[in-house]
Amino acid sequence: MKARIFVAVTLIGALTGVAAAQTPNARDISGYWELTYMDSQHVPRAQLVPRVTRAVLEAEAQKDFKAVRWCNILGMPAIMASPRPLDIRQTEKTVVIAAEINAATRYIYLNRAAHISKDIFDPTTNGDSIAKWEGDTLVVDTVGFDPNKGVNAIPGGGFRTANTHLVERYRLLNNGSLLSVRFTWTDPGVFRTPHTYEFRYARLPRDYEARLPLNCDPFDETRTAFLTARP
Amino acid sequence: MQVKVFAAALATLMLTLCVHATLHAQRTAADGARALEGGWVRLDTSGSGSFGGLTANFTRAVLTPDGAAKIKPQRDPDDVDPDNRPHKAGEPYIVSQGRCGGGGGGGVEPNSAALFVIPTRDEVLITREGPGGRHIYTDGREHPPLSRIVPNGAGHSTAMWDNGDLVVDTIGLTEGGVTAGGWRTPETHLTERYHVADDGMHMRITFTWTDPKIYAKPHSYFFEFERLPADSYAFENWCDSGDPLQRQSVVPPEQLP
Repeated sequence: MKARIFVAVTLIGALTGVAAAQTPNARDISGYWELTYMDSQHVPRAQLVPRVTRAVLEAEAQKDFKAVRWCNILGMPAIMASPRPLDIRQTEKTVVIAAEINAATRYIYLNRAAHISKDIFDPTTNGDSIAKWEGDTLVVDTVGFDPNKGVNAIPGGGFRTANTHLVERYRLLNNGSLLSVRFTWTDPGVFRTPHTYEFRYARLPRDYEARLPLNCDPFDETRTAFLTARP
Repeated sequence: MQVKVFAAALATLMLTLCVHATLHAQRTAADGARALEGGWVRLDTSGSGSFGGLTANFTRAVLTPDGAAKIKPQRDPDDVDPDNRPHKAGEPYIVSQGRCGGGGGGGVEPNSAALFVIPTRDEVLITREGPGGRHIYTDGREHPPLSRIVPNGAGHSTAMWDNGDLVVDTIGLTEGGVTAGGWRTPETHLTERYHVADDGMHMRITFTWTDPKIYAKPHSYFFEFERLPADSYAFENWCDSGDPLQRQSVVPPEQLP
């Protein structure tokens, strides 16, 4: 009898260990994630400061058009609105986000508490991102955007500048099948109040095969004619 | 009764052994992943001082007659000076159309840009300082049939951990040249072994190309890398095809005697 109890306890212990190893980890967002159609983006209108006039917005739109026309790397926040899945990979030190569009890979550092000094960091389309876990929420803090590189437009209105500060809050929902990201942009030269919106990404099956990045050829005459012609 | 107890005990022992074997393999993979993670930069171990010189001393590929017949001259599609003739001092010439990458994820052989390895449970992601990356599956999947792969610069890669080394198998690469006189087609297998030295600061990638239609014997060589400092970070490569400076001409200066 004692032998049976011992065997049963051992078996239950072993099986419990296997099951625990398969439970989704609320603090691991690795996987392929995709925005779904229409119902994955909750974006209110941004409240802009008076100096952001129609002329300022038009000038920003022209810069963005030039970036698209010449196949420049897009940067934040365009990469997070990719129509293709994002490959997000997390280790103890970093979270890396690779897209299937023409955007430089994002590197988010978990092993660094402060941003790179402005004296050293050359501003980029993605900026300098550091992050930490607050409970089950990954809080990412980004500065160091280059307003003259990539697409500056921010969902809901406004644009990023050299003074823009972005905080993102990543959290798994629905037992790990959804990834919620709340974006909050602050920039006293652009936004009257912090501009917050949320995207929800669906986790793709584990056997998803990454596709080739979308090609962009700035010397494709057909493409250029399409982009520059009046409809 | 005794038989039942014995059978149960035997089953428990076997299960325990299986769990131990699995945990041991995971530790090996975990150790390898921990060592491999991070940024790496390729070294000029031969002291050549030039990109051409980096591979000049590599053992040349031994090709089959069919393989040798496939070799064609390689040309950078962005090169607008195809004759490669020397230009006289003061004679301006344009070397590039200014065509930037446009969404590619880079090839399988790292260049001078830093290389970042991000190992996770199901996939090892290898990225550079621009768009995209290599997605190397470590979840046990197999390659899809070649008919379902669009040949590309990174191909389709699966991998396993072997004593802490990452061993990657790739097919589906675009047809073209291979370092040290080799050639590849989508059918060609590339095996890469990523080995981190005991000091944790140096890595070697050994490339081995096998294809009985092309190679008389496997074609193998290795690149050496050094780990980036702990406080370093990834740069972002910027290139603007719309910038006229991308197509700026070069004027060779007078050479000193």
